[in-house]
Amino acid sequence: MNDTMIDVEDFRREARAWIAANLEPRERVRAGRVVGEVTTHEQIDEARALQRKLFDGGYAGISYPAEYGGRGLTPAHEQAFREEAAGYVTPDFGVVGVVTMGAIGRSIAEHASPEFCRRHIPAILRGDEMWCQFYSEPEAGSDLAGIRTRATRDGDRWVISGSKIWSSGAYLADWAMCLARTDWDVPKHRGLTWFAIPCDAKGVTIRQIRQINGGAEFCEEFLDEVEVTEDDIIGEVNRGWAVTQTMLVYERGAGETATPTEPRALAPDLVALARRVGRIEDPAARQAIARAHINDYAQFHLGRRIADRLEHSHNPDHAVAAYSKLAAGVYTPLRARLGMEIGGPAALAWAIGDEAEGRPALDYLNGRRISIAAGTNEVQRNGIGERVLGLPREPSFDTNKAFNEVLRNARNWDGKVG
Amino acid sequence: MDSDATEDQRALLDVSVRFMEETCPPAVVRDAERRDAAFAAGYRSQAAELGWFSMLVPEALGGGSLSGNGVLDAALIAYLRGGRLQPGAFVGTNVVADAIARAGGARLQAEVLPALVAGEASAAWALAATAGAGSPAAGVDARTDGTGGLVLSGAKTAVLDVEPGGWLLVTASSPDGPVQAVVAADAPGVGIVALDSLDLSRRFSEVRLDGVVVAADAVLGDAGSTAALVDHQLAVAATLLAAECVGAMDAEFAMTLQYAKDRIAFGRPIGSFQAIKHVLADTSLAVEMSKAITLAAARTLGSQDDHGPAAASMAKALVGDSAIDLAQNCFQVFGGIGYTWEHDQHLYLRRVTSDAGLFGDAAWHREHLCQLSGI
Ligand SMILES: Cc1cc2nc3c(=O)[nH]c(=O)nc-3n(C[C@H](O)[C@H](O)[C@H](O)COP(=O)(O)OP(=O)(O)OC[C@H]3O[C@@H](n4cnc5c(N)ncnc54)[C@H](O)[C@@H]3O)c2cc1C
Repeated sequence: MNDTMIDVEDFRREARAWIAANLEPRERVRAGRVVGEVTTHEQIDEARALQRKLFDGGYAGISYPAEYGGRGLTPAHEQAFREEAAGYVTPDFGVVGVVTMGAIGRSIAEHASPEFCRRHIPAILRGDEMWCQFYSEPEAGSDLAGIRTRATRDGDRWVISGSKIWSSGAYLADWAMCLARTDWDVPKHRGLTWFAIPCDAKGVTIRQIRQINGGAEFCEEFLDEVEVTEDDIIGEVNRGWAVTQTMLVYERGAGETATPTEPRALAPDLVALARRVGRIEDPAARQAIARAHINDYAQFHLGRRIADRLEHSHNPDHAVAAYSKLAAGVYTPLRARLGMEIGGPAALAWAIGDEAEGRPALDYLNGRRISIAAGTNEVQRNGIGERVLGLPREPSFDTNKAFNEVLRNARNWDGKVG
Repeated sequence: MDSDATEDQRALLDVSVRFMEETCPPAVVRDAERRDAAFAAGYRSQAAELGWFSMLVPEALGGGSLSGNGVLDAALIAYLRGGRLQPGAFVGTNVVADAIARAGGARLQAEVLPALVAGEASAAWALAATAGAGSPAAGVDARTDGTGGLVLSGAKTAVLDVEPGGWLLVTASSPDGPVQAVVAADAPGVGIVALDSLDLSRRFSEVRLDGVVVAADAVLGDAGSTAALVDHQLAVAATLLAAECVGAMDAEFAMTLQYAKDRIAFGRPIGSFQAIKHVLADTSLAVEMSKAITLAAARTLGSQDDHGPAAASMAKALVGDSAIDLAQNCFQVFGGIGYTWEHDQHLYLRRVTSDAGLFGDAAWHREHLCQLSGI
């Protein structure tokens, strides 16, 4: 922070005026909207145009470093903008936007070389570059350090082969941030490197995967001798785990609240549902509505509390971000379940094509994405238990052995410890 | 609980902790015999010197808060009290002092209120009734006596910390709706019957009213304003009790976490077993959410924000459910030792389970939230 930084409230006033002059008011608030309704390139292009407007106005990347096209302000400024812009149409890139601006851009800014940052961050903030995450693999999800995609050095080039899966929005993205193994003869966390790969590079095949909800937002990829250069490395060779840790903190929300402002109206979607099915006076439905709303409200204040803790502590313990993630992972599916309970039979079958009536079922199907993606609830509980509460770790079978050997041992697993 | 506490607030919290640790340490918490009438009077007057009973009372009436948000100041004290299982009519006295400051007539404000603020007497809110589905007015019927006064008959139960020489705020039903009156605990026709209780750190009584005559100047509010005043009292009581409960939850969790690190089974600390680790992770999330929502309620309710009562009910509901989950989970982590009288875990289990049920349980506050929200 520097002395010349604009005060949050001054910034808020400035932003308010700019927003009123430049953005369209949102006519109807789309409560409980699922991230990921952005599914076409046309929607992405629309968002790019609007993002460009923000960028030119100085409101893109508010808390990103100024030398890379951001504003160089604090998360509190960012939050003030979010609050002021809540009633307006802002760029909506769906899940690729969340991934790009929320996790990837931040990780790049913290770990990539200045040249890399200059090449990519302004382009991200302008909306020209959308990114996706090539992290998970068919054989490695929670155990991200156990990935098997291989990157081999060949002169000043690197050649990458392997397969990735569950990459949200990859078919809409321009670039991918890809984790690969660059040394197989050391323990798993010490042989990993991050690469930037253009999604249209030779050897990259991206296929959409049909999801539980019928949509096809996440993808699988086959990487067949994809060539990149030294300049495409993010962070240092074999030191990729440090980048991963930063990325996971941001990906888990870093304490950002789900809604920009305190949710005050009693769970509007569930109240509307209860009215629609004639149960607004039914005590069971009322209890369910209140329960859902109280959890929303508590999650909002939890997010604030965590963000405050990260911002005001001299030595912030980023592991606490797992609380917001775990709360979302626990309460989102619970909320969806309460919707199904209130809806009763009307939530099980509805008029063909009626999206509003089909909403509780869709929320129910989508409810567990946040319990699984970006680290499952169980992984969050491990992190909280070990890194926040200081409980001893489980015995591990793989952290001190060369990864090659770990793979051999796993194939011959006989249940013996050690 | 609150990392934003001001320097003044911190200073008050520090001396309050010292006072509690000296005056009512764990040995006294465990020994009800040592907490007799003389103890209660001494505790109360020292607490009053720290300003514990002045926070919700405006300066013009002899009160005053440190931060300008008296509910928040009181909630921070309540949190510390809960962690130390403190006795005494803290919640009751503050709720009644606030109610008298808002709606009391000249006599109540001149005679009762200064005594409460100074710790010369305490007050309890006689709210709960055995039957009546949680209606605040249930259990006691009020007849008007034709001169603006009331005649009260019936009984209230689970009344917290009624102290000798103290006052009772009674919420009763009359043909014109709910009414409230401030009655001396030793007034003619009032019977205070000590009860056995789940919680051992506080005293619970039944209050019997047998044709108790209340003069007009001891009646709070009128037909038009009483329901709103009762809602406000409930919001204050819910917030302060939730804060006490969160304090107890935090202390119980810390004790359990330490045990999980120290206790060895199968050659390793039990906290390294995932089944235990995950329960503790979930429980600590419940503690964090409980702190967050209780502070939000205190901030909102104490700043004349219309959303205050809704926030208070949300906090009470969430904290109540979380407290019982926490108590059950912590008990399980202790194993056999948790089932003993000797171990402190049961004192916390008893306290937080009682907190969850007093001044409206979680289900009651969820329904109340719906009503406050106009559905
Ligand atoms: C909607 C969605 C979007 C996604 N988007 C992306 C993306 O953009 N990019 C990307 O790379 N990935 C993405 N993922 C993948 C996601 O990160 C993984 O699915 C997740 O990390 C879990 O890995 P897995 O599916 O391999 O399950 P596994 O790791 O096989 O886990 C299976 C079960 O075992 C449990 N488990 C595993 N290890 C432990 C342990 N140590 N202790 C206790 N329990 C354990 C898990 O909690 C889970 O319940 C997405 C997933 C979803 C559902």
